[in-house]
Amino acid sequence: MALTRVDGALTQAPSTSGRRNQGRRRGRDQRPAVVPTVILLLGAVYCLLPVVWVLTASTKNNAQLFNTFTFAPNGSLWSNIRGLSAYAGGVFWHWMLNTALYAGGGALLSVVVSALTGYALAKFEFRGRSTLFNLLLAGVLVPPVVLALPQYLLLAKVGLTNTYWSVLLPSILSPYGIYLARIYAMSAVPDEVIESARVDGCPEGTLFARIAVPMMTPGLVTIFLFQFVAVWNNFLLPFIMLSDENKFPLTVGLYTLLNRGSYQPALYSLVVTGSLLSIIPLVILFLALQRYWRTDIASGAVKQ
Amino acid sequence: MAPYAFVTPAVILYVLVLLIPIGYTIYLSLEKTEVSGLGLGAGARRQVFAGLSNYSSALADPAFDSSLLRVVIYSVILVPVMLGLALLFALLLDARRVRFQRFSRLSIFLPYAVPTVIATLLWGFLYLPTVSPFPEMLSKFGLSMPNLFTTHVALLSVANVGVWGGTGFNMIVMYTALRAVPSELYEAARIDGASQPQIALRVKIPMIAPALILTGVFSLITTLQVFNEPETLLPLTNTISQGWMPLMRIYNLAFDENNSYEAAALAVIIAVVMFAGSFFLLRASNKRVFQGR
Amino acid sequence: MKLIPTRRRRRAVAIAVAALAAAAAAGCSSSGSSSTQPAAGTSSSAASASARASSGQKVTLTFWTWVPNMDKVVAIWNKTHPDIQVQVQTQAGGDQELTKLLTAAKAGNPPDLAQVEYQVLPTLVTNNYLANIAQYDGSLKSDFPAGNWNQVTLGTGNLYAVPQDAAPMALFYRADLFKKYGLTVPATWAQFAADATKLHSAAPGVYLGSFSAVDPGEFAGLTQQAGAQWWSASGSNWTVGIDDAASQKVASYWQGLVSSGGVDNQPQWTAAWNKGMNDGKYIAWVSDVWAPSDFPTTAPSGTGKWQMTELPQWTSGANLVGNWGGSSTGVMAGSKHQQASAQFAAWLNTDPTATAALVSDGGIYPADTAAEAALSAPPTYFSNQPNFWTLAKQYAAAAANVTWGPDVNVAYTEFQTAFGSAASGKGSFLSPLTAVQSTVVNDMKKSGFTVAAG
Repeated sequence: MALTRVDGALTQAPSTSGRRNQGRRRGRDQRPAVVPTVILLLGAVYCLLPVVWVLTASTKNNAQLFNTFTFAPNGSLWSNIRGLSAYAGGVFWHWMLNTALYAGGGALLSVVVSALTGYALAKFEFRGRSTLFNLLLAGVLVPPVVLALPQYLLLAKVGLTNTYWSVLLPSILSPYGIYLARIYAMSAVPDEVIESARVDGCPEGTLFARIAVPMMTPGLVTIFLFQFVAVWNNFLLPFIMLSDENKFPLTVGLYTLLNRGSYQPALYSLVVTGSLLSIIPLVILFLALQRYWRTDIASGAVKQ
Repeated sequence: MAPYAFVTPAVILYVLVLLIPIGYTIYLSLEKTEVSGLGLGAGARRQVFAGLSNYSSALADPAFDSSLLRVVIYSVILVPVMLGLALLFALLLDARRVRFQRFSRLSIFLPYAVPTVIATLLWGFLYLPTVSPFPEMLSKFGLSMPNLFTTHVALLSVANVGVWGGTGFNMIVMYTALRAVPSELYEAARIDGASQPQIALRVKIPMIAPALILTGVFSLITTLQVFNEPETLLPLTNTISQGWMPLMRIYNLAFDENNSYEAAALAVIIAVVMFAGSFFLLRASNKRVFQGR
Repeated sequence: MKLIPTRRRRRAVAIAVAALAAAAAAGCSSSGSSSTQPAAGTSSSAASASARASSGQKVTLTFWTWVPNMDKVVAIWNKTHPDIQVQVQTQAGGDQELTKLLTAAKAGNPPDLAQVEYQVLPTLVTNNYLANIAQYDGSLKSDFPAGNWNQVTLGTGNLYAVPQDAAPMALFYRADLFKKYGLTVPATWAQFAADATKLHSAAPGVYLGSFSAVDPGEFAGLTQQAGAQWWSASGSNWTVGIDDAASQKVASYWQGLVSSGGVDNQPQWTAAWNKGMNDGKYIAWVSDVWAPSDFPTTAPSGTGKWQMTELPQWTSGANLVGNWGGSSTGVMAGSKHQQASAQFAAWLNTDPTATAALVSDGGIYPADTAAEAALSAPPTYFSNQPNFWTLAKQYAAAAANVTWGPDVNVAYTEFQTAFGSAASGKGSFLSPLTAVQSTVVNDMKKSGFTVAAG
């Protein structure tokens, strides 16, 4: 499912945070350990294999794809990209933009809601707090497939299906985001700061926006990334909600290129090239923001 | 009033996208359609109260039972393999004297950036002998490619996609936890003459137990919900049918067969089972995992 | 479920005001109690009606289809009908579209028009999702073969869709490779089986095609040829004959071919299958006259090598084929512009410009008997068979009559499950057939149909 790997898991490390000295553990005089290095590299090769395949396969046209050794590149990448761009009036780039909108917009809204809720759960005593927290967490357990049909039927009643909102709206609430935001707020926003701000007469809203949010920012970036990937991966929800090709995200669009029914065989070389192009933005995002994937959730700090 | 204002958006969304749909699902699960005559013409089909008949026919469906068994086997294979690999790689990333750590970390994490539908598609190409590069590579060693879609192997082929996509993420979670372990703890063990594997086994793994339990529980939850991978592989083989996994059966009933009533009953059954199971699991590990209060 | 999204309701009001009263009235009557009596103004059958949206109120119709390049065909219409604009929303394929159509119709916001395969019409009709457009397009009856017309009326006086393409099955074979392996073109299934055995010993790994459990429609077509009637209706009773003698004969026959190795057991339409079609692993394909639109991408290097011939017969000298797929253009009951939609559906499938475009851009074989002009030149891929469309016409004339039941989707799901494991395990094909029969009967009984096993 879309959420699967994002939902994968997060945890906080033991609360006693003791950071190791990076310089010290990289022993300068150590000889390399061969067997562990080889095992690690095998893991890397396994994970890179399909990616390398899609890289070389996207340089092939349909005939080459099925008749030449697929790890040997050919020269059709450019014509494949042109073919993809020409398909149905350039709808592929529409899908790309839509995906950015769904994932970016959904993740942003999700961060706002998660930060508000997590902060309140962490820093306020109020009636129903733990019930609310448990209820929100339990939301993780409801499979998206189970929700898809009633969500569709209900959104249809208010005329929202086949709109951008039909995909965005269910993507905003993220139990994980709230769970993480609560931990970040607990560890990154000291109670003393809040107390003194209140003594100074700072309104709660301003306190949150001006003082708490900046302190939580590294953690909020992590939440953004999780939710971004979750929405980017999502297939079923947009597949059910949308009927207009121009509103599709990449996953649904590529799926329709592959499953074209009995009348029209799949457009394999376009699918392969489209897969490659759809991975690239996410890989760039990952590399650019990779330090946020190592956020130590316990301390709310970002490790270098 | 401030805290209530802060949680209002989440509560509204929760009611809108979770509670109301869940309530609606329960309502649907108690209804069915009834046809009169040939069923042609307007008004020939009515929605009527079904009592628990959807539940009884769902539970009596042998195909659904076997899909439940299948998903359990699938999870029992996938989760330990994926988490075992994730732990192994996390320990190797954290170990001394291991080279190419940065490259490997990024490479193993990379599949996380690939949507499951696309990941499945790529593996699907690699699985099919006529398109895959493997037969040619294997033939150099005098080997031939086995059929990856026979009745039993297909489960492993699907699980492989899950392992590929999930290992990197869990590895990063464990690695982050490992980095937070105070180094003094195992400097002492090292001075006592403990080897690297011994340190890993006796010091590091116990220290990150909370991370392991949480990744385990959540991996299990998501694995039991497997849908995208087999659904994408379905057209590639005769082996994977439309009710192969429980959620596929729900989808199939609701959307292909237009029987949202029985689908709703199945959904309720699965949700209840998952809820009870996860609640029990989380409860059992609660004290170690969640910050007490 | 008659909740109409507010946006649509508002638009509907505007249209009603705009004097498209007939359409609005039809909308009410068909979603209301009964849709059998045509409303007043039947004379304005779509064939004669010109585009008239008198007030100048512009109507935009949504149209779900999976036919490639349908947008080009629709563009012709849009140019000449500024008041009735049609917007194509391309769907993944027949099955995928049906899935979404059922959901959208249930939710009360279907498109105005949808391409619908013949076999799923009863499913949509019994759910009351399709509008009766007899009052607009009923006069088109003479334009179509009786078999196709029967499928869109379901044998009633109502009309639920306008036929688009006829889909008689045919056999395709690699002429060059048949010669190479010393095979003659099989006229009977007995000879086809003998050819398969001969081929298997001459060249193991080369097949006379593949039995695909993913395509129940193909198997259904083959059983039609053998005389099977999977569904039939009389009075208010349905009879289900999926497990009848004719179907059993066909099932045993293909089981024999699969287990002897003369025919492969892999699904069609996959990358691997495409490759096999292209490089001579599969040298025959039991398919349909719509295949020309597949071949250029499936087997690009086979131009001039593949040929079409009549489907092998069960008895020598007979002349009967089944149908695989084929589709129609339906107007959804939830549409607020049923008259305009019906008008477009009629144009799309009977106007010479439209049918010509369907052939050249969409690659389909029009059901309209008058569309011959568009068919004078053979498809490019089959330029070596100048009489390609003449043959297609012969097959269409020989196509078996068929009645589809109200739960073909249930049957097809069970077919894929049961035959899938039988095909990959090379087990018996008879027990899956029984499983499909009992699943269908149970499903129909559960829904309240009166049903008998045939």
